[in-house]
Amino acid sequence: MFTDETLDALGVESLWRKSQQFAQESRGCQTWPVHTAEAEIQLLLNADNGTQTDPQDHLLYQLPFKGEFRPESPGLRDFLHRVEDIVVKELANNAKSHAFDGFDVNWEDPNETVSCIHCLQHPSAQEKGLQVTSISWSCTGSVIACAFGRVDDGDWSTEKSCVCTWNLDRRGLNPKRPDTVIDVARPVMSLSFHPSQPSLIAGGLYSGEVVVWDTNRTQDLILAQTGMSTDTHREPVYQVAWVPGPRRGEMVVLSAGSGGRVLLWTVDSDEGRLVLSAGFALVRQQVPHNSALSKNRGSSNVGVTSLALSPWDLDTFLVGSESGLVLKCSFSAQTLAAAPPDGESVTLRAPAQFSFSPRGGPVHSLHCSPFHRNLFVSVGTDGLAHLHSLLQPDPLLSLRVSDSYVFGVRWSPTRPLLFAAATGQGLVQIFDLGRKSLRPAATLDQLTGGQPVYCLEFNPRRKDLLAVGNADGSVNIWHLSTELTEQGPRETAKLEQLANEVAE
Amino acid sequence: MLPKAEVEETLKRIQTHKGVIGTIVVNAEGIPIRTTLDNSTTVQYAGLLHQLTMKARSTVRDIDPQNDLTFLRIRSKKHEIMVAPDKEYLLIVIQNPSE
Repeated sequence: MFTDETLDALGVESLWRKSQQFAQESRGCQTWPVHTAEAEIQLLLNADNGTQTDPQDHLLYQLPFKGEFRPESPGLRDFLHRVEDIVVKELANNAKSHAFDGFDVNWEDPNETVSCIHCLQHPSAQEKGLQVTSISWSCTGSVIACAFGRVDDGDWSTEKSCVCTWNLDRRGLNPKRPDTVIDVARPVMSLSFHPSQPSLIAGGLYSGEVVVWDTNRTQDLILAQTGMSTDTHREPVYQVAWVPGPRRGEMVVLSAGSGGRVLLWTVDSDEGRLVLSAGFALVRQQVPHNSALSKNRGSSNVGVTSLALSPWDLDTFLVGSESGLVLKCSFSAQTLAAAPPDGESVTLRAPAQFSFSPRGGPVHSLHCSPFHRNLFVSVGTDGLAHLHSLLQPDPLLSLRVSDSYVFGVRWSPTRPLLFAAATGQGLVQIFDLGRKSLRPAATLDQLTGGQPVYCLEFNPRRKDLLAVGNADGSVNIWHLSTELTEQGPRETAKLEQLANEVAE
Repeated sequence: MLPKAEVEETLKRIQTHKGVIGTIVVNAEGIPIRTTLDNSTTVQYAGLLHQLTMKARSTVRDIDPQNDLTFLRIRSKKHEIMVAPDKEYLLIVIQNPSE
């Protein structure tokens, strides 16, 4: 009569939703591997019958290497014979001649004055009392982006902030209204434009996240972010930069924070994530020559407050720490870091190779000279700008910049002997190492009523523009005079001389 | 002396002269055949100076058809470029006179 019965479940396939995955299994190959062995060869002698390549007269159009075979050019010897005497005579005359001493040509009207041409502000950020923590010029030199946040807050901050960009070359530039405003949930501590794609900006947040924004997008400007995973920094990210990645043409984001981690992230724009590709951890025990700081108890992490990449050697980078250490590090270091693993997906390495003489307080800014491979300048809370050579621990030169803290320093991209430093008193001091006196060549007052200046950047394309970010939330764009931007006749030689001096 | 060695000797004498940064020999088509600089710089100098020398020569001859270009010197802020022209070749020497 009634029996228990179980019916098979009936499945109805969805008409509109497709399966996301395509399952694939491989069972086996059809062919067995073929074993080959050489048994014997049939021919005893061989001769070339004909070749297919083109005749070799295209060699003449290649540049011959020095010292190797090169085709003899007829008449070259006679030609050189004819011209040698006259050329050598001119060369000798030129070396002795004083005819052009002090002769200068005015191709453009020289700009005698330094003036502030724009004062860019974002009123809503200023109302909240946010400060400009970092600025960056785009690779084209026409867009300036500035990050708002707080530098003086000791506490964990959940304040909303923003990143604003202005295009200075656009007509109708309104200094009070940025072209783009990107709202960010946390204060942004550092910013860096992509070196070749003008719409990508990388930013490091107070919470330790790293975000890449794409200003080309209309809706959601976030291209990729790290999110809060086990890989991210736990402490504020004070520096972000773009460095060349393993594949040609690819750039990865480097972030350094006060947790002592320097991490490299690849941009995965499809998933919208930044994937950790390599990481370094700076631990006190692994810092070379650390005798001065071994008395200091506290966390063993070396918090990074500033980072500089060397434009000459892609493997080297410099790190400035919260405790005043300045370290020379290498991307290709292989020693494993002594930090306890914290769930990161990549093993962290210890990059420090050389330690320069330590400072008393945090090193706020470092910059490598674009004109000499061994020079860099560092500033911190001691009010001095130290000029170092990569080859020795003690500084070559120490200049007094201000009586208070110095927050930023940058070498001029056009004059080898010039650098600018941003002080805590609201001034930007520009120093010319070619001058005899140690006083600044120029002082730019930011007119912020004594509030500090946190960051400054030279425009990479237009050599006479300098952008300065202040604590009152404004960014001033300065137009520098010709004297501060035109390279003098023997500057590279003087810089070389300075670099070769041995510190006493 | 072998003809080839003589060419090298002459070029070396010019190159080792005080302040000389580089020496390039260009043939009549504007193609560099000897150089002491790197490839991309050489190609740039050869192409530009070959054109400029032809222009300078035609300028001189336009002003006076009996005249001809014997030597071309371009002085810039950083160095001086000297060009010795000829029917088949061009010798370019770049010198930094203040060294």
